[in-house]
Amino acid sequence: MFSNNFLIKKELLSEYRNNTSLFLITPTMAVLVLVFPILSENRFVVDDNFFIINQLLFLIFFTTLFSIRNPLNQKTLHRELNFANINKHYFFRFKILSEFLIYFPQALILVALFSIFTNTGVKSNVVYFIVSIVFFSINSIMINIIFQMFTTFSNRFVQFILMVPVFMSLSFFVAPIWLGINPNLTIIYLLMYLGITLLIFGYTNWILQKDLK
Amino acid sequence: MSVNYLKSKNLTLGYGNDIVINNLNLSLMSDENYQIIGRNGVGKSTLLNFISNNFQGNIFKSTVVSVQMRILEISSQATINGNLTLKENCIYFTKEKIPERKMLSILEKYGMHNFLDDLVQNFSSGMIKRSEMAIADLINPEILCIDEPLNYLDKDGIVLLQNLLISRSKANRSNIISSQEFLKIFENNFEMIDLNV
Repeated sequence: MFSNNFLIKKELLSEYRNNTSLFLITPTMAVLVLVFPILSENRFVVDDNFFIINQLLFLIFFTTLFSIRNPLNQKTLHRELNFANINKHYFFRFKILSEFLIYFPQALILVALFSIFTNTGVKSNVVYFIVSIVFFSINSIMINIIFQMFTTFSNRFVQFILMVPVFMSLSFFVAPIWLGINPNLTIIYLLMYLGITLLIFGYTNWILQKDLK
Repeated sequence: MSVNYLKSKNLTLGYGNDIVINNLNLSLMSDENYQIIGRNGVGKSTLLNFISNNFQGNIFKSTVVSVQMRILEISSQATINGNLTLKENCIYFTKEKIPERKMLSILEKYGMHNFLDDLVQNFSSGMIKRSEMAIADLINPEILCIDEPLNYLDKDGIVLLQNLLISRSKANRSNIISSQEFLKIFENNFEMIDLNV
């Protein structure tokens, strides 16, 4: 159903052909991952806790690069959506989905590469680990789209300054899970994350629906 | 059926604290054609953007009553996506509702059928305008707004634009164009909205 959606198709095609695409960011980050252990401790094994914090920092850095890679121009977007007769809330939903399809596999690859090259692994269950990245991805993508749709920070530097603290606060929910807290607490953390996701999604949809009326 | 889709009293539009259009009374019918004329800076594009729901400035104390209709605007800047091919743009903007054969025949009418698989970012301004006219023809909206209609078009392009507007008028579809002077090359069935006064 989703693969046939014209909006998702358009976003994926644009991403594929865009010169500032994530397909350029990922290899750059992969090189950084390769160099990182040598720079940090001059060997290919680093301390576990140090590793987890750095892995998160890499994820935040990667997400920030992803967020500022191709800023939306509000005026152009408004005109384009009007021309195509697409509601903003519809665009918001499918933009999240298409961004997730672009971002998530590459974030997973990056995290896996980090684990491989630092010769260490996170201390939590694989399922919890992946679910935490899913939540982190969806939230950071939503925050990014909200910033671009509702604010006029067209300057990438300003976007960078404003978004990094938000991504850092989102990663506070991920850190304990990766550090290996017990399963019951992990589920509580994930439920809290789910709550935040629903809150952001619901609130944005409410604003967009209100705007529509 | 004729619909009074936009009625405004004392319409005042601007950007920030600057007022561009002041106390304009407007009543637009869905089967009439309009030409907005005025010198530079009087607010032709602002008014056209307002009519086509693309206005992003401030609406000051005004009374506006509108009926929801499909209004499409071909502005002086490109709206179609440069990272997509012409065919992909047609699919995106028509939401895949148009059969491919019809799409091809309309693009052929506008002389764009040979550029179907080319990226729009490599098109000239005239080709972009022709593509947007073709997409507007495909969508066939109830109201079509065109800002500076003659910009970027060659002689053939102007004839194509004339034909598009005439065929739309015959089908009781409304056209609104904005330019500095009243354009006589279109049929005389255009009502004038003069912003100079």
